[in-house]
Amino acid sequence: MASIQLEHVTKQYPGGVTAVDDFNLSIEDREFIILVGPSGCGKSTVLRMIAGLEEITSGEIFIGDRLVNEVAPKDRDIAMVFQNYALYPHMTVYKNMAFSLKLRKTPKAEIDEKVRAAAKILDIEALLDRKPRALSGGQRQRVALGRAMVRNPSAFLLDEPLSNLDAKLRTSMRAEITKLHQQLGTTFVYVTHDQTEAMTMGDRIAVIKDGVIQQIDTPQNLYDHPANLFVGGFIGSPQMNLIDATVKKVADRFFATFGETDVLIPPQVMGADVAASYEGKSIVIGIRPEFISEGGPHSDCDTTIAGDIDLAESMGAEKFIYFVCEGYPCIAKVPGKSGIQTGDHVSLTIDCSKMHIFDKESGLAISH
Amino acid sequence: MKIKKVLNRTVLYFLVLVIIVVTLAPYLWLVISSFSTKIELMSRQIFLIPHTITFANYKDLMSRDFIPAAMNSIIVTSSVVVISVIIGVLAAYAFSRFRFRGKNPLLNLSLFTQMIPPIALIIPMYIIFKRLDLINQRITLIMIYLSLVLPYLIWIMKSYIDVTPKTLEEAAMIDGCSRLKSFFFVVLPMISTGLAATVIFSFIITWNEFFYAFSLTKTLDAKTLPVLIYDFNSKFGANYVMSATAGVLASLPPVLIALLFQKYIITGLAAGAVKE
Repeated sequence: MASIQLEHVTKQYPGGVTAVDDFNLSIEDREFIILVGPSGCGKSTVLRMIAGLEEITSGEIFIGDRLVNEVAPKDRDIAMVFQNYALYPHMTVYKNMAFSLKLRKTPKAEIDEKVRAAAKILDIEALLDRKPRALSGGQRQRVALGRAMVRNPSAFLLDEPLSNLDAKLRTSMRAEITKLHQQLGTTFVYVTHDQTEAMTMGDRIAVIKDGVIQQIDTPQNLYDHPANLFVGGFIGSPQMNLIDATVKKVADRFFATFGETDVLIPPQVMGADVAASYEGKSIVIGIRPEFISEGGPHSDCDTTIAGDIDLAESMGAEKFIYFVCEGYPCIAKVPGKSGIQTGDHVSLTIDCSKMHIFDKESGLAISH
Repeated sequence: MKIKKVLNRTVLYFLVLVIIVVTLAPYLWLVISSFSTKIELMSRQIFLIPHTITFANYKDLMSRDFIPAAMNSIIVTSSVVVISVIIGVLAAYAFSRFRFRGKNPLLNLSLFTQMIPPIALIIPMYIIFKRLDLINQRITLIMIYLSLVLPYLIWIMKSYIDVTPKTLEEAAMIDGCSRLKSFFFVVLPMISTGLAATVIFSFIITWNEFFYAFSLTKTLDAKTLPVLIYDFNSKFGANYVMSATAGVLASLPPVLIALLFQKYIITGLAAGAVKE
């Protein structure tokens, strides 16, 4: 049980590549935090620095109240689950799980009790005598979790633990890890590039790009109020539609104009004074696919656009509509029973009150 | 189709048989010779079982410097194997896992030493060891053999360690190991196959080495078995019987070592460690 603080942490590799830059993160005790970002963004490096597997170039890392910069991984009281499981191939499942306790000279009876208790929770009691090579991917991942659990560490570090599993197993393991977190009441730091995992599992999400935190917030807040273009585009599936536009004022009302299309900027999205300061300037508007619907306007906040449907992808309960609007490829999410077909020419409506607006130059959000 | 299959099989077995005969025949002749009398061996007849099987050669050999030479061979070889495995595996680990200045040049240099033929090295070596007063000493042979064996050993073990997943060590370090402990508990078991192979390799190279031993030893203080066997054929004319008898005995340790370690040469030990 411990909080984790990263203060001004920087990681520079020999050759001058900066993997993590002035990273500040405060993880509360018992929190489930997700580090998410595209491949190579430095999220795994952050995790490995917390674990002590990677030296930090500058900055400070605290686990609990203890500065751990110079503390060896084995003395940090953390457990880690690796993407490739990293089970010891020459040991049975039981020995894999007992290894850390044995190193700490725990009495045999206590080791046995702890290993069996963890095995019971993870439903791997029947596998204890097997070697890792005789296990399936899902079973191996459970053993890896079990190995971390028996130690009762103050923090769990998980490095893309589900990315080697098939889709179905991933969904069920996702739920199990969330359950495990509630059961154990320990701090979890979870690295993933999968935004579904990020959205569903964490108390808070830190979105990382190029070694820099873009935004830290609850999943819902990230979704509703992305701080910048990157977060807007990264969180949400299908991706948010991003369109370059210019602010135009027509009779006291402000519009985002691109090509022949004018989209109303309602005051609740951007106040008149802010809008006025952007008049004639370039912005990027972001519209989530679920806020583009079929048919004509439903309220005066709506703007109707027309498009040729490149592809209508039916997912059963919903349909993803791919179309081009004024040269920008867009996606709309409509109910599954919608009759829109590939090749149709249809009119669609944007719910402007749900629009996000970003400064084109800085990429920062300027809407509420 | 069936005829073709049978034909293939026949040819294959025939070739295997030829290879077995070619490989084993000389050794068989060595064994036969060691149990024959000198007169019968010189009789120009080819035989499989000698008329008079005699153990006298073995008895004779024991009184003819065999024991001290064998002791020299055992001491030199076991020292080289033990030292080379300890130094070699640790060096291989360092070359595989750490970044340090001059790593690749050093690695290549170690191989480069093997490209110079021993005949070119023997004279300077002789002069150096003579000045150091190290001629005719076991320690000299041990040093030279280490320089022969180590480069191969480092290269072979490095390639084994290279393919051992790094995350396993990291997992061990988080589980409570120091780097050294993780090496012993995790890396070493995973490279045991390669280790067995290199033990056999360095044993055979050292045990059989003749040229340096012949050039740098004079008396039974340091003389090894290959030199002793050679001596049988020079000092008192060609004593084939003694050569053969000593040859049979000298061939036993490498065979035993190979049998002992082959059970460790099991592939697929690493399967299931990480997701490929």
